[in-house]
Amino acid sequence: MKNIFLIIISLFLFTACEKEIDLDLDDKSGNIVIEGNLTDQAGPYYVKITKSVAFTTNNTYPIVSNAVVVLSDDTGQTETLNHVGEGFYETTNFTTAPGRTYTLKVSAEGKEYTAKSTMPQPVLLDNLQQDSFMVAGELSYTLLPVFTDPAELGNRYLFSFSVNNSGKMFEAFSDNVNNGVVNQRPLLLPNDDEDGNGQKTKVGDTIYVEMQCIDTNVYTYFTSLLQIIDGGGPGGGITPSNPPSNISNGALGYFSAHTVSKKSYVIQ
Amino acid sequence: MQAIYCRIFATIGLSVFSITAFAQERRTISGTVRDGKNGELLIGVTVKVEEDPSVSVVANEYGFYSLSLPQGNYTVAVAYGGYEAYKQKIQLDQNVKLDLILSQETERTAQIDEVVISAVKKDKNLTSAQMGTETLSIKSIEKLPVLFGEKDVLKTIQLLPGIKSNGEGSSGFSVRGGATDQNLILLDEAPVYNASHLLGFFSTFNSDALKDASIIKGNSPAQYGGRLSSVMDVKMKDGNNKDYNINGGIGLISSRLSVEGPIQKEKSSFIVSGRRTYADVFLKATDDFKDSKLYFYDLNLKANYQINENNRLYVSGYFGRDVLGLGNTFATDWGNTTATVRWNSIINSKLFSNTSFIYSNYDYKVSLSSNDNTFGLDSQIQDWNLKQDFSWFAGNKHSVRFGLQSIYHTITPSSASGTSVSSFPRNSRYSWENALYINDDFKATEKLTVNYGLRLSMFSVLGGDTFNTYDNGVLTDSKFLEKGKFGKTYVNLEPRITANYRINEVSSIKGGYARNTQNLHLLSNSSSGNPTDQWIGSSYTVKPEIADQISAGYSRNFNNNNYEINAEVYYKSMQNQIDFKNGAEITFDAAADVEGELLFGKGRAYGLELIAKKKSGKLTGWISYTLSKTERKINGINDNNWYNARQDKTHDLAVVATYELNPKWSFSGLFVYSTGNAVTFPTGKYELQEQTIFQYSSRNADRMPAYHRLDLSATYEPGKNKRFQSSWSFGIYNLYGRENAYTITFEDNPDKPGTTRAMQTSLFKFVPNVTYNFKF
Repeated sequence: MKNIFLIIISLFLFTACEKEIDLDLDDKSGNIVIEGNLTDQAGPYYVKITKSVAFTTNNTYPIVSNAVVVLSDDTGQTETLNHVGEGFYETTNFTTAPGRTYTLKVSAEGKEYTAKSTMPQPVLLDNLQQDSFMVAGELSYTLLPVFTDPAELGNRYLFSFSVNNSGKMFEAFSDNVNNGVVNQRPLLLPNDDEDGNGQKTKVGDTIYVEMQCIDTNVYTYFTSLLQIIDGGGPGGGITPSNPPSNISNGALGYFSAHTVSKKSYVIQ
Repeated sequence: MQAIYCRIFATIGLSVFSITAFAQERRTISGTVRDGKNGELLIGVTVKVEEDPSVSVVANEYGFYSLSLPQGNYTVAVAYGGYEAYKQKIQLDQNVKLDLILSQETERTAQIDEVVISAVKKDKNLTSAQMGTETLSIKSIEKLPVLFGEKDVLKTIQLLPGIKSNGEGSSGFSVRGGATDQNLILLDEAPVYNASHLLGFFSTFNSDALKDASIIKGNSPAQYGGRLSSVMDVKMKDGNNKDYNINGGIGLISSRLSVEGPIQKEKSSFIVSGRRTYADVFLKATDDFKDSKLYFYDLNLKANYQINENNRLYVSGYFGRDVLGLGNTFATDWGNTTATVRWNSIINSKLFSNTSFIYSNYDYKVSLSSNDNTFGLDSQIQDWNLKQDFSWFAGNKHSVRFGLQSIYHTITPSSASGTSVSSFPRNSRYSWENALYINDDFKATEKLTVNYGLRLSMFSVLGGDTFNTYDNGVLTDSKFLEKGKFGKTYVNLEPRITANYRINEVSSIKGGYARNTQNLHLLSNSSSGNPTDQWIGSSYTVKPEIADQISAGYSRNFNNNNYEINAEVYYKSMQNQIDFKNGAEITFDAAADVEGELLFGKGRAYGLELIAKKKSGKLTGWISYTLSKTERKINGINDNNWYNARQDKTHDLAVVATYELNPKWSFSGLFVYSTGNAVTFPTGKYELQEQTIFQYSSRNADRMPAYHRLDLSATYEPGKNKRFQSSWSFGIYNLYGRENAYTITFEDNPDKPGTTRAMQTSLFKFVPNVTYNFKF
């Protein structure tokens, strides 16, 4: 929806111009970034720990290889993960099941970080349906993830999808809309080959869709993250700030225990 | 508690009354002040008698004045900018009804002596106790250069000190550090909720239909209330009741037409003004956009009827809409509708009554559809309003205003419909806002004028929905209130006082204090304002916003009031300010209750405002400069520390000049410079899900680059003094093509992979405009 506003405004901004500028940005980098994911599929599971860098440096992010990473759940299962390279910490025997609450504890560089996440009950992705619409002479594709939302309120979903496996996109849904019924919200496929970042979806492309059922804290994290990634509509959108992480002590990133259901589709 | 308030009101009322009861055997001269050529009632005219210079009174905004004098012979005199001096001898043995008919200065002299800022008394800045006020006469803004050639009251007031633009493409403006929704914009007394078209590029005011516009920056007298930072009072013309006039203009982006005239000569008149853009006409010529719609329109209508010598009835309406659409896929439209029925009555020679019934509506709709999917979002705010206002000229030293206002609000929050439906019922919220006020403009001594008053505002939450109470975002209570039942009522007392002390012939000092409360709040998640932002009323969780402002000023005039310098300092403290939780969604995936997403705190703003004006001669204009700061401290944001509000701009400078070369040609230019808005830029970056994510630290600790531009325009007026008058105006917006930053975004650099860059988008450079205006 925000994209549409931007399209409208750009119609009007026929005299707009873009250029790169040099800004004297402050450097408050060096924060720990933790990405922890537990799924309901078979393991192993990974926790990635890196650090943030200053804006002006290259996109090479220092890894943290000597952290102590412990996963546990509410049945007493606990395991210390091993660092297997590139900042990834891997589980060996850890098993997961929906409904359990998992705790992640990380000790890195003298600080302690804790996070909790509850794996929701799985909801399966039944099907993917293609649709399209014309905007300003351009054809845009959408893909409807067909699934039935459970009757009780409180379901949150994260869709991770890509075109031909290059570049991941995300959308977060909640059952504040269409609770208890078959989903009607489509995923907007990219239609933007102007700047180097975008891609244009065309006939023959394969779209890989992964549907995750996530808990409320992870949902809030991802909706905030998507708001700052989008860059916002006219005038700059919302005031950006770090998404509210479910990890304590100022860590960036998230810890998500989620269920996974995947499907792929070829555009016709 | 209510009993105490009633006692306070009674005491003030009695003290004013008792002062007049001891007066000698006096008679009154009263009546209305009008323009002789078209019958328009003139606003804010000062009426004096030559025989006693200490006696003077200012007519109210409906042209009514009343002077109280001992029996005798007098010469009533009026001096008002743009009009010939008026004198009339009268014999006062009993109350006299004297309507003052002023003649417009002949066109030639009007040009030379034309007052650029205001058509009011030349030394009004030294005598009026009103602080923080700027008045614009519509004639004076005619020649100023504006974007696309649309002369615009809203854009012109942003050239005055203390009033800041929110930026190109942003709707609304900010007064003394306040938010956009803290400005009460009234069109013939009806509140206008969204005074901008096309996301801020144009305003909803068609200057052809307007008589006067004034803005009071927080120190408004007690008859105004409801918003914290300012009142912008815009009055429509009544319509020429002697002769027909057609006014219009054709421009590059839009055209306008205005027709006014008498219905019954000198007894009733009407005015109809319309304006429409036609950007979409050009779009139809293209292939890609031929199904697109992009237009806005404004329609102002007004009629008035003089029932008898003492009673007049007005009916006015405004209809405006913005429509954007792309084929069948996307459509959005939004707009204001207002309607006012007003009855003015001269009850006796000292008392004037104004009764108004007002309806106001603002709504927006968004709809998206593809083959299988439809999505709709709509929201509305509707007001029914009754105002009863009295102007009581209680002796020459006291001009008292008192009365009541009552507004019934219905707010329908936005909710998703179509194939994607909100899981929660969206009930309308009803509330009833009332106010009682009394205000006195008191000429305490020859040199000291005090304007003081009290406003009692009450806001009642009415039933028809479930109301939740949150404490720091956690639900602590929930109750369902049946429709028609009274829920919480907030009562606030708002004292107002300003005083002006005339030090000598050429200078004066002022000081004032005001408290304002606000019960309607605009929730906006975006930093620039969208038409889809929502209004909500105070409730169990959302408390009324309160602002206390103190200010002090100094004014000095030079060269027989042809030059004016005004300086004012202010400090404003705001309570119960609202902002959003991180990641809050308020439109699409909105939670059952948007109030659970809100955070509260306080604000403060302070500054220095300077303006120097040259009001007569071939070259007229002004230089205005504001130095200011505005900050917020919200629980849950920025670690509970003070941070700059987005609208904080340290320096704001405007230089405006108009040069009348000869009766046919005049040139005008303006230069603006301001510090950029306070923004939050990245302070680092990291990788998440294989994407570059930017890291942020303190809120709004950075600045956008400074904004500056120069606009020029030239107006050619051939063939004056004939029945048909025309003029051409040519202008350039942003003459030296400064690339002012509209947005700055951060991204991976596609030209240098593995690095990131900042990209600035800027909008208008060298935008020319041509407008042809006609009048007959």
